[in-house]
Amino acid sequence: MQDLLYFSQQLINGLTIGSTYALIAIGYTMVYGIIGMINFAHGEIYMIGAYTALIAITGLASLGVVWLPLILIVALVCAMIVSSSMGWAVERVAYRPVRGRHRLIPLISAIGMSIFLQNYVHLAQGSRNIGFPALIEGGFTFGSDGAFQMSLSYMQITIFITTLICMTALSLFIARSRTGRACRAVSQDLGMANLLGIDTNRIISATFVIGAALAAVAGLLLGMYYGSVDPLFGFIAGLKAFTAAVLGGIGSIPGAMLGGLILGVSESMTSGYLSGEYKDVVSFGLLILILLFKPTGLLGKPEVEKI
Amino acid sequence: MAAHNFKHALFCAFITLLISYPILGFNLEAQGINITITGADTTTILGVLLAAVVVFLFQLFRDQIMGRVGDLTSLTAGKHKEPMAENRRAKIESWVLTGIVILALFWPFFMSRGAVDLATLVLIYIMLALGLNVVVGLAGLLDLGYVAFYAVGAYTFALLSQYLGVSFWFALPIGALLAATFGLVLGFPVLRLRGDYLAIVTLGFGEIIRILLNNWTNLTGGPNGIGGIPDPTLFGMEFGRRVKEEGNTSFHETFGIAYSGEHKVIFLYLIALVLAVFTALVIRRFMRMPVGRAWEALREDEIAARSLGLSRTAVKLSAFTIGAFFAGFAGTVFASKQGFISPESFVFLESAIILAIVVLGGMGSQIGVVLAAIAVTILPELAREFSEYRMLIFGAAMVLMMVWRPQGLMPMRRIHIELKKQE
Amino acid sequence: MRTSVKKLATAVSTSIALMGAGHAAAEIQIGIAGPMTGPVAQYGDMQFSGARMAIQQINANGGVMGEELVGVEYDDVCDPKQAVTVANNLVNDGVRFVVGHLCSSSTQPASDIYEDEGILMVTPASTSPEITERGYELVFRTIGLDSMQGPVAGNYIASLNPERVAIVHDKQQYGEGIATAVRDTLKDKGVEIAMFEGITAGDKDFSSLVTKLKQADVDYVYYGGYHPELGLILRQARQGDLDAVFMGPEGVGNKDINTIAGEAAEGLLVTLPPSFDQKAENQKLVKAFESKGEDPSGPFVLTSYAAVQLIADGIAKAESTDPFDVAAALRGGAYETPIGTVEYDKAGDMKSFEFVVYEWHSDGSKTPVN
Repeated sequence: MQDLLYFSQQLINGLTIGSTYALIAIGYTMVYGIIGMINFAHGEIYMIGAYTALIAITGLASLGVVWLPLILIVALVCAMIVSSSMGWAVERVAYRPVRGRHRLIPLISAIGMSIFLQNYVHLAQGSRNIGFPALIEGGFTFGSDGAFQMSLSYMQITIFITTLICMTALSLFIARSRTGRACRAVSQDLGMANLLGIDTNRIISATFVIGAALAAVAGLLLGMYYGSVDPLFGFIAGLKAFTAAVLGGIGSIPGAMLGGLILGVSESMTSGYLSGEYKDVVSFGLLILILLFKPTGLLGKPEVEKI
Repeated sequence: MAAHNFKHALFCAFITLLISYPILGFNLEAQGINITITGADTTTILGVLLAAVVVFLFQLFRDQIMGRVGDLTSLTAGKHKEPMAENRRAKIESWVLTGIVILALFWPFFMSRGAVDLATLVLIYIMLALGLNVVVGLAGLLDLGYVAFYAVGAYTFALLSQYLGVSFWFALPIGALLAATFGLVLGFPVLRLRGDYLAIVTLGFGEIIRILLNNWTNLTGGPNGIGGIPDPTLFGMEFGRRVKEEGNTSFHETFGIAYSGEHKVIFLYLIALVLAVFTALVIRRFMRMPVGRAWEALREDEIAARSLGLSRTAVKLSAFTIGAFFAGFAGTVFASKQGFISPESFVFLESAIILAIVVLGGMGSQIGVVLAAIAVTILPELAREFSEYRMLIFGAAMVLMMVWRPQGLMPMRRIHIELKKQE
Repeated sequence: MRTSVKKLATAVSTSIALMGAGHAAAEIQIGIAGPMTGPVAQYGDMQFSGARMAIQQINANGGVMGEELVGVEYDDVCDPKQAVTVANNLVNDGVRFVVGHLCSSSTQPASDIYEDEGILMVTPASTSPEITERGYELVFRTIGLDSMQGPVAGNYIASLNPERVAIVHDKQQYGEGIATAVRDTLKDKGVEIAMFEGITAGDKDFSSLVTKLKQADVDYVYYGGYHPELGLILRQARQGDLDAVFMGPEGVGNKDINTIAGEAAEGLLVTLPPSFDQKAENQKLVKAFESKGEDPSGPFVLTSYAAVQLIADGIAKAESTDPFDVAAALRGGAYETPIGTVEYDKAGDMKSFEFVVYEWHSDGSKTPVN
């Protein structure tokens, strides 16, 4: 019983972090699916989302607003707007001019953008860790007193539900809406879609904006869940999320979800049963193994080599 | 001026405000135990507004401005010169290179110690970039974990000297060979992956090696690193004030000159210079050998190359191994220069910087790589007053370079024959 | 604001350095090497603020042997590679006394160069025992060692008769060093250590660690490392209903931990050098800092002040600006400084440097525990 509770607690920890990885991974996977480049700066966009949310929350607090739903909504909207604008601008400035060139060129441009954005926030807001208020506190506990008790906090529930809503909405959007259909068309064949009258530039911009908005959601949620932000934390999270995207099969949205959850759970199980020191080794090792035996990821479509 | 243009310009200006005002205009500050928010000073806010106006005007007159810039470039392009005869060009190039090397040989004797030390660092980066150039520039394999092989070289020397007392000169080939072995072993399974997957897997390997170095405390000292790495000796002569190892003599006593710390710095610089020149020459040879041609062939068109009977695995592995070999070289020199190494020196950013040098220099081009290594290492030092901004500028420069001059400072020139124009 | 102050400071120091090069005869240059930029720049700020104040005050009192002290500042970003470059630049600039560096991983490679070049170094912040273990003649410090702080914490925890103790560290030189010292002390006392584990510095998610601590049913957790990670661990421990008492070294004892951990910081135990700024004899100095708008309570402000003062006193006592003479003078005498009476042993460590256990409160204040 004890062991089971411990296992479930680690599972919950892993699923929580995994679902936020999935939210960030969407940005990588959609961009890769459409223009075939790794958007290294995506982690920074997530970090900027978290900072904007914190600025909004602190601003509202200094104005004397205390009603929680209002604070959350305002913070969420601000973060999404700023992050999306950032995503749009990054695409315009750093990626569109180099699109279609040798595939190393956009990648270097993206790494440069990532370094630039990190230092932009570092200069504007300082390099220290800034505390993020815990707005949603409390939770359920399971198990008897005096022994190991499993806890499921309201914050974790919020993260699950929000991720689920975002994923469902995005899937519906891609499957049903006109823009979604255009997205799928562009990802299958950019040139052909262009010939058929789809404004591909617009669709690519839309992809960046959607990815950035979801990253902003993750930024707010994770800021509240973990408790602090700093200019460097986007990079690590971005790397993990990218791993999740590759794990699940890059280009596939359900794949990003699956990859995120697997990565999150394997990390928390490693720190739970082995040692936290080797958490990253296990997640990168897992990535390498999957790529070696199934190079297109778990849910990715096998690519046919055309001659 | 079309209304459409105006609308677009307005939109761009608005976006500029959105991405800069919230982050720059409000500062989060810790006041005691509370986080408070303060508005930025007027100059910052004016700066933000100014940026928005500039973006607005630029977008509004974008066509005109771009037209002008286009005219300028076409003007310069108009004065197209008759390309120099290939053999003459090659001759001039080799003379210039020899001149630079000779200059580099004598230069440190007139320079300050700090400058020589910095130059040694530049040479280490040149070695690294030349090695990575084989992998990325010539073979077209995107390696984001190159720093791992650099770490292998550095740690090999550090560990050998700590446990077995091996000197620099013995450790140098061992470190390089061990790094090459790592390249071979790691390369074997991953090289069948496609471009971007290869990139992310090598990134993973780089991180794993760093984490292992950090966690394997018994062997590597973990985060404490390894100190007391000896300096290179010259035929058994040491450059320190006191002789550290028995059987060695000290340089200044042998020659009966006063002790000066500069001897050591210059000696290290000269070693790095010789090794960098060696690296450049060896790789130059490789480029002209069948295997070098095979790298480029595979990079340009894998299917065509395979249909001509090239073994994909063998060709890629050779590039990967040779690249790793020179990283091991550079690692050994780095360990010796620092005297102390820890996993902190081998993070992903280091891989990114080396890659940036290769790309800025012009992929595949050796002179370009040398120039870029100098630029990337020295510019931040010169801009010390802007030290806060140097990484910001570095990032922006990477982006701008890719947008405006993706072929690099000195694009690679293939050896080719120009056809005479027929009148 | 921050940046403009820093730029001004850099400009001033450069111009001072340039002036120093002009008439070096009547001046003694003191190099101050530490991080002005980078992730631990806030500790660097403490170092520069303390050292600048000391130079200013000593000059106001007529300097040393009639000569003025001139501060020359260098930024090493706490990066070992840049520290070596900085050290070489220092040699180049003819500086013969250094206050620095801050991070142990920078101090160590730089000290090799200083020792070889005959430059005297006093580090106000590096606590790694290895730095003074190598028998160097010119290396001193004005701070205690990890191996001193660890036993204080270990003995304190042991005195509370804990059932099970967990030790966590951030796998960095500083954190792991202290954590190991605490573990060894606790082992000697026969206390059961349930866990000894590393985390990754810069990580944000510690929920698995908290669950593991809960499962291990520990009543004390010692954390070796800095405040950003401990702040998050405290907060996530509170969310995960872990009730254990946490303890950490001086690297966690600053107010930033309150902004991160909030209420969860209440009751945290911290080993700190005694707060020198609370001492009665230092009140005049504290006023001087406050009138400049600077905060003297950071752990490295007064140690840096003391480092400059020791160099000055050493020069005065040796009546020579030769670093070897000054080193001999420092080893041979007892000096009154804001951090107490300083006497050096052969290795260059202070013969006694006290650490005190404080209880930290959620409003950022602290009270000593006996």
